[in-house]
Amino acid sequence: MGENFGMKPAITLEGVTKRFGDIVAVDNISMKIPSGCVYGFLGPNGAGKTTTIRMMMSILYPDSGTITALGNPNPEAVKDRLGYLPEEKGLYKKMKTGEILAYFGKLKGMPSSKARARAAELLKQFGLGDWMNKKCETLSKGMSQKVQVLATLIHEPELVILDEPFSGLDPVNVEILREMILDIKKQGKTVIFSTHMMEQAEQICDYILLINKGRKVLDGPLVEVKANAGKSVAVDYEGEESGLANLSGVTRVNNAGKTAELILEEGIDPHSVLEQLISRVKIRRFDTSEKSLHEIFVSAVGGKSND
Amino acid sequence: MIKTLMVAQREILENIKTKGFWIGIFVFPLLLTLFIVIPPLLEKTKDARTYAVMDESGWLLPIVDQHIITEDITRVFSEVVNKVRAKGAAHADIPEVISQLAPKLAELDETLISNAATFLVTGKETGETGEGNDKTLPEHIRQTLKEERESLMKWWENISPTDARNISPGLSKASYHRLKIAESKKNQKGLNRMLSNETLFAYFVIGPDPIKGDEGSRYVSKNVADDSLRSWFRNEVSMQVRRLRLNKENIKPEVARWLMKPFHFEARKIGAEGAEEKVKITDKILQMAPIAFVYLLFISILTVSQMLLTNTIEEKSNRIIEVLLSSVSPVQLMAGKIMGIAGTGLTIVLAWMATLFFGTKYLPSLMGAQPGVDLSIVGTNPIYLLSFIIYFFLGYLFYASILVAIGSVCNTLKEAQNLMTPVMIIMMVPLLAMIPIAKDPNGTLAHILSYVPPFTPFIMMNRAATMPAFAEYVITTVLMLVSILGVLWVAAKVFRIGVLLTGKPPKIREILKWIKAPVGAFPRS
Repeated sequence: MGENFGMKPAITLEGVTKRFGDIVAVDNISMKIPSGCVYGFLGPNGAGKTTTIRMMMSILYPDSGTITALGNPNPEAVKDRLGYLPEEKGLYKKMKTGEILAYFGKLKGMPSSKARARAAELLKQFGLGDWMNKKCETLSKGMSQKVQVLATLIHEPELVILDEPFSGLDPVNVEILREMILDIKKQGKTVIFSTHMMEQAEQICDYILLINKGRKVLDGPLVEVKANAGKSVAVDYEGEESGLANLSGVTRVNNAGKTAELILEEGIDPHSVLEQLISRVKIRRFDTSEKSLHEIFVSAVGGKSND
Repeated sequence: MIKTLMVAQREILENIKTKGFWIGIFVFPLLLTLFIVIPPLLEKTKDARTYAVMDESGWLLPIVDQHIITEDITRVFSEVVNKVRAKGAAHADIPEVISQLAPKLAELDETLISNAATFLVTGKETGETGEGNDKTLPEHIRQTLKEERESLMKWWENISPTDARNISPGLSKASYHRLKIAESKKNQKGLNRMLSNETLFAYFVIGPDPIKGDEGSRYVSKNVADDSLRSWFRNEVSMQVRRLRLNKENIKPEVARWLMKPFHFEARKIGAEGAEEKVKITDKILQMAPIAFVYLLFISILTVSQMLLTNTIEEKSNRIIEVLLSSVSPVQLMAGKIMGIAGTGLTIVLAWMATLFFGTKYLPSLMGAQPGVDLSIVGTNPIYLLSFIIYFFLGYLFYASILVAIGSVCNTLKEAQNLMTPVMIIMMVPLLAMIPIAKDPNGTLAHILSYVPPFTPFIMMNRAATMPAFAEYVITTVLMLVSILGVLWVAAKVFRIGVLLTGKPPKIREILKWIKAPVGAFPRS
């Protein structure tokens, strides 16, 4: 990935902390999100992803620390240039699709006529042109998901923040959304999205940040994070699951039944592991590669993740 | 601010599309109309009560009966005379049988009209039935009465309740019909059977010696709830028995009246110029009218702030709130909602006010009610209307802030109901204090409660009849405004966190913690 991301960060957090009563939801987090990238915000449920995002959107204010968005030390002042799709999202059921998009555009400071024109344009572009004058309650689940994403994009934001956008989507809609995210990136805009599904992040992120229990675990360009994490072996096999247990030179096995990821001790030659395996199970594939994000996360947190 | 107005505008536009809004607009006018229209209609459709009398004394019933007829005929005469005077003899809508007599009666004054009725029924002017007066009827009228007597009495004997009601609903013939029972059938068994199969509503038994006492006298009916027949007939009998007793003891009716006359203090009030003025019936209505306004205020504030509560909960369960928060701040959203619902609510309340105004001014006369008391003095009194609008706003802001905060922490109406209970209890206080305060608008209770902000709008409205001192208006309003700001501030803090919550609503203790906790460092640019 030889992409050049803007030198100016889209959003910067420095020492941000947020407490709810006795619970520290976000604990002294700092991060710099380069503009023009797709930034993955990863962590198990309850890690503090949503709280951090809400602070970026000025829905909550940090107890301490600073947030600079689009170069402005007051992120609330640039709220109209940000687009946000919360995890908990819905539409006014009784409003028409076109109307509600235009309403969100107006709330973001667009002139009324422009908001309406843009709403019509977006709906047409994403195959919902016929639904413009239909009430939101008549939309299917997939369609209303689409409308919600369009509502996030109506005012052509410079930075788009999506909180768990993939959760609850079927494969077709996952694909559509992924294309939309890559399309936003192509326009030179920044996308931040949070997820607890590492596979999604691995496919589209340029940068990632791992967060657990309110604290940053690690961050950086995905390529670097993976390169620094060391190697592992991916195995496709047939046979008893127990066949993978107690291999010498292997510290951990992430066993999925037919495929498994073997984490090797440092300095161990994968060949010695292969020799042991051949006598125990039937090997379909044996592949030395970088560690998966899942493994990186689990080992960094030092325990089992929640998902 | 612009965003707040956008939120408010959307609220109004979407709300007026809902059924609830239109129900709200029409429910009060409907109730008011029903309130004015239904009772007279019910009265009209009520069948005349059929009753019978078993007179064990053997002589009292004819006397009572004669008096009842005399009273009715007097009333018929006055009604007819009123009509003739209003429209002229040629155009007045009067029964054929009196058309000859009517213009002549119109020459008489009230006393003589009554004498004419007495003369018609008894053949004497101030005889046994009437109470004496010195006036005598002109000879030509006596003559006409004698000529018309037979036909008039026959007409009256057979008049239907509907016809009687059309002349005047106050006539006894309009409400009660005495069934004449044959001598042979005068036994209680027969009468009881008639009660059972409902050919008879009730019967009276007059005891053997009514002059001495009412022993053995009774009223028998299946329906003991409707007391009107019993009390009417009791009054009629009492009057005759009293007259006969006075006669027996040789006491003149005038003497008896003088003996029985209560000592009367005429009610006066001090007018605007400090002079003594007579108390008119309208004064009494105006004095008590604030009670109606307090009710209306209570209903409006409760309904409109409930709209806000429901609306907030709906948006929360629709999960639209956080999407909105990506564009507007929680405070803007809350303010926009409060304003939007206020706009919607005010539209409804103004519609109610207009109804009250036109309803009291025109509806009763359309329904053909007596023009005597003009209810529109209530609906058009500027002090009341102004107080109402202002106190609606103040009260709404106060309670709406509380309810929007409650709505923000709840996901269902059911959850909200628990948190609503303390608010409802507070709101009940002014209602309970309503009657005592209306009677003593400047008493200690009224004064103290006026200064308690949650009660101020209701209590001050309640006291509007005697116009509390200007200083009191100012101080209570300032107190109210200050507490509204306080409640709004608290509501904003709760709302900010509450709208983002899912799952079960927080405990009051937790909410208090939110209020105490700092919002976080406000970013400065």
